[in-house]
Amino acid sequence: MTSKPSPAITTTYSPTPSSKKTRPDVDWVRPDSRGFHQCRPAFFRTAAVNAAAGSAYAEFGNTKVIVSVFGPRESKKAMMYSDVGRLNCNVSYTKFATPVRNQEADCKELSLMLHKALEGAILLETFPKTTVDVFALVLESGGTDLPVVVSCASLALADAGIMMYDLVAGVSVASLSKKNLVIDPVQEEESSQDGSLMLTCMPSRYKVTQLTITGEWSSANLNEAMELCLDACSKLAKIMRSCLKDAASLAAQE
Amino acid sequence: MVGLSLGEKHFIKGGIDQNIRSDGRKRDSYRPIFVETGVIPQANGSARVRMGATEVIASVKAELGRPSALHPDKGKVAIFVDCSAVAEPTFEGRGGEELSAELSVALERCLLGGTSGAGAGIDLTSLIVAEGKICWDLYIDSLVISSDGNLLDALAAAIKAALANTAIPKVNISAAASGDEQPEVDISDEEFLQFDTSAVPVIITLTQVGRHYIVDATSEEESHMSSAVSISVNRKGHICGLTKRGGEGLDPSVVSDMISVAQHLSELLMSRLDSEISAAEAEGGDEEL
Amino acid sequence: MEFVNPEGLRLDGRRPMEMRQLRAEIGAVARADGSAVFEMGNTKVIAAVYGPREVQNKSQLSNDQALVRCEYTMANFSTGDRKRKPKGDRRSTEISLVIRQTMEACILTHLMPRSQIDIYVQVLQADGGTRSACINAATLALADAGIPMRDLVTSCSAGYLNSTPLLDLNYLEDSAGGPDVTVGFLPKLDKVTLLQMDAKLPVDIVENVMQLAIEGCKAIATYIREVLLENTKQLEYRRGL
Repeated sequence: MTSKPSPAITTTYSPTPSSKKTRPDVDWVRPDSRGFHQCRPAFFRTAAVNAAAGSAYAEFGNTKVIVSVFGPRESKKAMMYSDVGRLNCNVSYTKFATPVRNQEADCKELSLMLHKALEGAILLETFPKTTVDVFALVLESGGTDLPVVVSCASLALADAGIMMYDLVAGVSVASLSKKNLVIDPVQEEESSQDGSLMLTCMPSRYKVTQLTITGEWSSANLNEAMELCLDACSKLAKIMRSCLKDAASLAAQE
Repeated sequence: MVGLSLGEKHFIKGGIDQNIRSDGRKRDSYRPIFVETGVIPQANGSARVRMGATEVIASVKAELGRPSALHPDKGKVAIFVDCSAVAEPTFEGRGGEELSAELSVALERCLLGGTSGAGAGIDLTSLIVAEGKICWDLYIDSLVISSDGNLLDALAAAIKAALANTAIPKVNISAAASGDEQPEVDISDEEFLQFDTSAVPVIITLTQVGRHYIVDATSEEESHMSSAVSISVNRKGHICGLTKRGGEGLDPSVVSDMISVAQHLSELLMSRLDSEISAAEAEGGDEEL
Repeated sequence: MEFVNPEGLRLDGRRPMEMRQLRAEIGAVARADGSAVFEMGNTKVIAAVYGPREVQNKSQLSNDQALVRCEYTMANFSTGDRKRKPKGDRRSTEISLVIRQTMEACILTHLMPRSQIDIYVQVLQADGGTRSACINAATLALADAGIPMRDLVTSCSAGYLNSTPLLDLNYLEDSAGGPDVTVGFLPKLDKVTLLQMDAKLPVDIVENVMQLAIEGCKAIATYIREVLLENTKQLEYRRGL
């Protein structure tokens, strides 16, 4: 790395539940001995790839993701004229990202989801006729991959100087047996979850850009989970913002 | 998509604001739903669903297979959606693939529940024949024949009807094999098991146009959408899955509001669909007699 | 295997020169310019026509005639054993081409220069003779779209098994490995526009089998005419004429 690395930030955060409930099962311990509502420490660093217009690296526990952004540049495919810019997203896994080799099949869907989560936040009309490419590579998959990819990609877009309404932060919640909600599940928890809720939002504008739910949820549970996610998103965005600020102040010093 | 002039756009939007849409419906009313079952004789179950000019076919095929090592007590279900070029010229060649992928992922999310299998519309444990050895693999193939918006809701309704129409042959394990040996099976030609579809949810897509949201949008209305949320609700009124489509951000309170609206509407849709399915089934039964 | 039993009946109970039950319906796809469902026994196909409209790919534009395109696809559930085939395999590309050429020959393409007509056929159930059924469905859909044609082209197949010429083969007879003659026919002009055959057939019998297929085409043409007439009467009635 030729450029001076931006300062490393490792912070853990946890949403504050609005209604303090008594924990029904205190005997349950999470695999990495976190609290139910405690997220994994988030580490972000911008300018991770020199060749790209903007890039970011994110590490949430064992989940490690690198995203590079290229453009705005000429659309590769000779497509029809468009007075708004295009966003092209691609998510891929390294061969060694998972314990079992090969995870090709999933990526098309993840790419689609990443695109949907980001497109609402970007001012596409600021780069007409051109394309911005977002390439995300999951170096190691440790659970909750997509939200990490989304957060990291929005940071990379900001690093590339693409105009956005706000940073996009993503958080997911898993509902485990006995109706326990755990935030930011690791792979082990994800594989045994009864349901999951993934939410990406723009915290300053208070807008949800993407939301997916699987499994059976009652309204009360759903509302609790959404509140948790929204709160965690705003805290995550603060960390992301401070990472950008630090990188900028470092650049100004030089 | 649909090419609309500015005037047409204003007309549609204005109508929605005043709670009367171009075809005379209210914001929260559906187009008439027609259900026909048993349309594909080779399949174990099939149905055709028509909502206005949207028409889809779903078929269920059951094949004997081996359960996966991770879940020895569960059968497997795979959902595929194909968008025929017949419905829309842009689906020609590989043109429909992206939409097909989006729809099949959304359907899987809404019907198959969490990774542990809780809250699934289809009870996977009921597909097991011999634990760890033989299970039924259900292949749900659906095809979009005519598209005029609201494909996801129509597909979910068609799958529900097709599952209600599904008869899985009774399997007798003839020789009790020991250890790892694959037991011999005897598939009955006469005895069939009816599939329990009471837990299969319905999907309700709420499309946001301006400040309001509408159900069962036509493709003209869909071309207007800033965002749409597809919510699947089961008989108990619980949410079984949710997918947001369209890029624009939504206020969290709007999302919560949409969910409660969907829960309310699901009761009506569910009972309407149930009566349509049972009517279609009764009609199919008469023909056989 | 015995395809014609001593009583002279085929596997599905038909006589050698008997066609399967035909059923046609016009206007199955609401948003298409023309569409039709065509059934021959258990074979069921749906065809939709879009156009004449602006040419999408400008390099294919022709100044003196319309561009005719065709795509043939089979639904996953159309065959007995479920297979997920990729789109655009060799077989469907070939059938698309056959249908396109057959339809192009009967459409008055010179009347619609600088435009494009898309024909999409989708097989819902396959039980032999899908290409014939597709051509028949496409004819109806083109007629429904009001596209000017020389004649209503129809198609039917015939085979030769157990030393008996058989009309309109079903899947079992088709896969027996015997000869299969598919004919596309313009009934008014009395001309053959499509002729395909596989496997081998003695020269003196070819004529015979082909004639049988042509008779089949004529019967289908009569039926298609009836359906179109009925449809027109309905339209007239709805207009209050």
